[in-house]
Amino acid sequence: MNTNLILPPAVRPASGRNRRVVSWPAWGWSFIGVLAVWALIIIARPGAPFDPIVQSLSLAPFLVLVALGQMLVITLGPGNIDVSVGTIISMSSYVSVAVGASAGPLVGVLAAVIAGAVAALCSVLAILLLRVPPIIATLATSLIVSSATLLLADASRNSADASLRVFVNAKLLGVPIIAILVVAITVAIALMLRHTRFGLSVIAVGQSARAAERSGIKVWLVTALAYLASGTFAGLAGGLLAAFISPSTVLGTSYMLDSIAVVVIGGTLISGGRAVPTGAWMGALFFVLLSGLLNLVGWSIGAQNILKGVLVVAVVIISATASGTAKSSFDRSLTFFTSRTSIKETRNG
Amino acid sequence: MTTSSAAPYAPPALAARARTSALHGFPALLSLVALVAVFVISVVNQPGILSVTGLTLMLMSAVPLVFAAQAQMLIMSVGDIDLGIGALIGLVTVIAATLLRESPLLGIAMLTAIVVVYALLGLIVQKRKVPSIIVTLGMSFVWLGIGLQILPTPGGATPDWLTAIGRWRPEGVPSPLIFIAIATIIGWYLSRQSRAGSRLRALGSNQATLEKAGWSLTRTRVLAYVLAAILIVISGLLLASQTRSGDINSASNFTLMTIAAVVLGGGNFSGGRALPIGATLGAVTLGLITVLLSLMSLSSSLQSAAQGAIVLAVLAGRVVTERLAR
Repeated sequence: MNTNLILPPAVRPASGRNRRVVSWPAWGWSFIGVLAVWALIIIARPGAPFDPIVQSLSLAPFLVLVALGQMLVITLGPGNIDVSVGTIISMSSYVSVAVGASAGPLVGVLAAVIAGAVAALCSVLAILLLRVPPIIATLATSLIVSSATLLLADASRNSADASLRVFVNAKLLGVPIIAILVVAITVAIALMLRHTRFGLSVIAVGQSARAAERSGIKVWLVTALAYLASGTFAGLAGGLLAAFISPSTVLGTSYMLDSIAVVVIGGTLISGGRAVPTGAWMGALFFVLLSGLLNLVGWSIGAQNILKGVLVVAVVIISATASGTAKSSFDRSLTFFTSRTSIKETRNG
Repeated sequence: MTTSSAAPYAPPALAARARTSALHGFPALLSLVALVAVFVISVVNQPGILSVTGLTLMLMSAVPLVFAAQAQMLIMSVGDIDLGIGALIGLVTVIAATLLRESPLLGIAMLTAIVVVYALLGLIVQKRKVPSIIVTLGMSFVWLGIGLQILPTPGGATPDWLTAIGRWRPEGVPSPLIFIAIATIIGWYLSRQSRAGSRLRALGSNQATLEKAGWSLTRTRVLAYVLAAILIVISGLLLASQTRSGDINSASNFTLMTIAAVVLGGGNFSGGRALPIGATLGAVTLGLITVLLSLMSLSSSLQSAAQGAIVLAVLAGRVVTERLAR
């Protein structure tokens, strides 16, 4: 995916000789990471070299789903982050099972999706009406959602529908059907980001919320839709995970940081304005393979957490240096904050 | 608190002054109102609170939170946010309940290392221009991992001197009040009284001016992170002194609570503002709400929802009062 296409021509280097015909894709580094971890797994356990990839293809799609929503939110620009996805996944896993038991698995998954969207609506209302910073709004939402999860957990003792269980484990030519579906969703989002009004608006808002507003984009609507998409995807992931694993109050906990990490590792700018859907896949495969490798080598959960955290920090530092846009994006984040306060001050007279 | 920039030519009318002070003069007013309201409701529910023992029990849980809120306030005054605060306080309790008792030197070395790591974080955020939110979020998993490595399940025992601090009950005064006052004075001195404090706030509000005045931006940010780390370590030690054990997850809700406390107390996310009294009021309010919710025998499943809703409600209240004041 050549992400340069989405940037306006003015951003490109002016001198012609610096322009390469084939540019290094934003997800390139994560792809190298995937290959490296894969190689290490093959070294650690020789024989059947494609097994780890196939295995990770059954777990990665869920992470990709969540990461795609998170990517849309992060692309909105500095300060935008959805930390409620983890609890939404846990809640919607119970919703999927509880509704699915009486109304069929399809309705159950649909209910999970709706539950995710409703939770996201709570964040959206807080962000837009109360002017609460997104991180607080989504944290508060996740508190409310985790209460709902506990209530649902007390009420329901169902397990996932058998047919849904078959569906999430089904394979077509050795590739999980879920993986194929999520690839289709990824392609749809990639096309949407490049060709539709909403997709381009998300990127425009991320590059400069002010400029986007001046040019007639309804920033509030774009913001609302991005958060709703994130909640919806988290709800879908939770609804399906209920059948793939089983509903639990901590089912989604790890997805909160993982989704952010995957997005950042995949090359999406943490400061917004550049979305890399392919990178979500690369980042997710990297993460799933990595934890497979660490389990193979016998690392404890604690050590895995340490490595994950260090990795996220390292990737953020390196990508900030390597992309060469760190300075400008930081300045943008400053103007984002200062512009709000200056507007306030002028209103005060 | 912050000096109001009222019109210089004539003494402003009373209404205008009240309005300005509501907006600028005492941004923690809302938090104070909320605090009084929560306190009154608690007293009505449980009249036994109005005694030294009652107040001690009531306010005890707020002590570590107040220290943590002061730390968050320092970080937020330079325009950053620390999302690792909850996990780090959990780690400090783990260190306090294991290493600090078994091998005090190693324990102290670990606590010092935390401060050094925070200095590095400040350096990274300033030099590499990476968002503090992501760096501290990543670090929170490092803290969690280290804590799980040292102490996979809650337990351990704190050293005697730390337990003694937790048991200390002076005559006539609830001991938490003393700790809360100390935390506020430390925060007030660091952020508003010392020269370093004005540099921190300048870094949050106007980097260019600070740089032109000849100060190192890097050193200033590192200073903010180091001071915050010291306060976080104190907060963790105090929490351990109360629970007398270590638990990596014991303070996981502190991350939201400290940010909410600072915002309740009139702070903002863009930096340049440090209101230690406001942060304390915000933290005590949130701590009291937690106690109140358990006093009202609310189902434990609903407590986190109530917390989230109350935080949103108070922030909404702040928006409304600011609109009205304009």
